[in-house]
Amino acid sequence: MSHLDNPFSKPSGEKVTCLEMLQVILDGEATEEQHLYFKKHMDACMPCYKSFELDMQIRQLIKSKCCGGQVPEDLVDRIKSQVNSIS
Amino acid sequence: MEGSSRSQYSEKEKLTVFNNEFLPHINSMYNFGYRLTLDEDDAKDLVQDTYMKAYRFIESFQKGTNAKAWLFRILKNSFINDYRKKSKEPNKVDYQEVESYYNSDDVDRQITTDLRVEALQNMIGDEISNALNALDVDFRTVIILADLEGFKYDEMAKILDIPIGTVRSRLHRARNLLKDKLSEYAKKMGYKNA
Ligand SMILES: [Zn+2]
Repeated sequence: MSHLDNPFSKPSGEKVTCLEMLQVILDGEATEEQHLYFKKHMDACMPCYKSFELDMQIRQLIKSKCCGGQVPEDLVDRIKSQVNSIS
Repeated sequence: MEGSSRSQYSEKEKLTVFNNEFLPHINSMYNFGYRLTLDEDDAKDLVQDTYMKAYRFIESFQKGTNAKAWLFRILKNSFINDYRKKSKEPNKVDYQEVESYYNSDDVDRQITTDLRVEALQNMIGDEISNALNALDVDFRTVIILADLEGFKYDEMAKILDIPIGTVRSRLHRARNLLKDKLSEYAKKMGYKNA
């Protein structure tokens, strides 16, 4: 894959920045081709590599610490009985 | 919705859809409700209210489409229309205002954060949760939707009733704000250059 056909390129032909590529990746909007390109890019671009690592670490933390724990036990019952009463 | 004679579902089908397609999302729904209200009782009420609305408006739910996104949208609307009105939060800005405020912001901020992975690895307590909760609710919301629930731009745009471009910039800004918060915590923990 040559650097000329960067799969992140915009239709306008404007140069795409590291930050823009990173966001497409982080936001889960990247195509397979873009993922491959970015992986190679990170081998050569320290800021992207570091930033990506940091963002993934934050996401990991969010997933392990911000999941709200248990749904209160009575909530499902409350919902079910209310639905049954109006149906 | 009411009074429609061309019913898509029979009563039995309604319950089936409700039990099989709506209720399985209760964990995500409760967490979303909690992250919006930051109160367990309010979250319970909001989720219950959302499920009741979902049942009442079940005719407008298209079988085979994304039930989770549909439910999230109802919950978010209930939060804005009912909960926010009831609560006496003093400094609630109008959505429109908020939008122009952060769209004009430094969206092109370069990768400048000095937060380090090593500092994060020591955040084993409530730091991340507190940092997230400290963000304005609109920013908190996009982080939850994208990073926790894995929604795509187009789904978030529908849930939040905003254009995809706004989803993108809001998410970007939210991530930066979260890093700023975490950086503050890291400094308190003694990471000088965090
Ligand atoms: Zn780069």
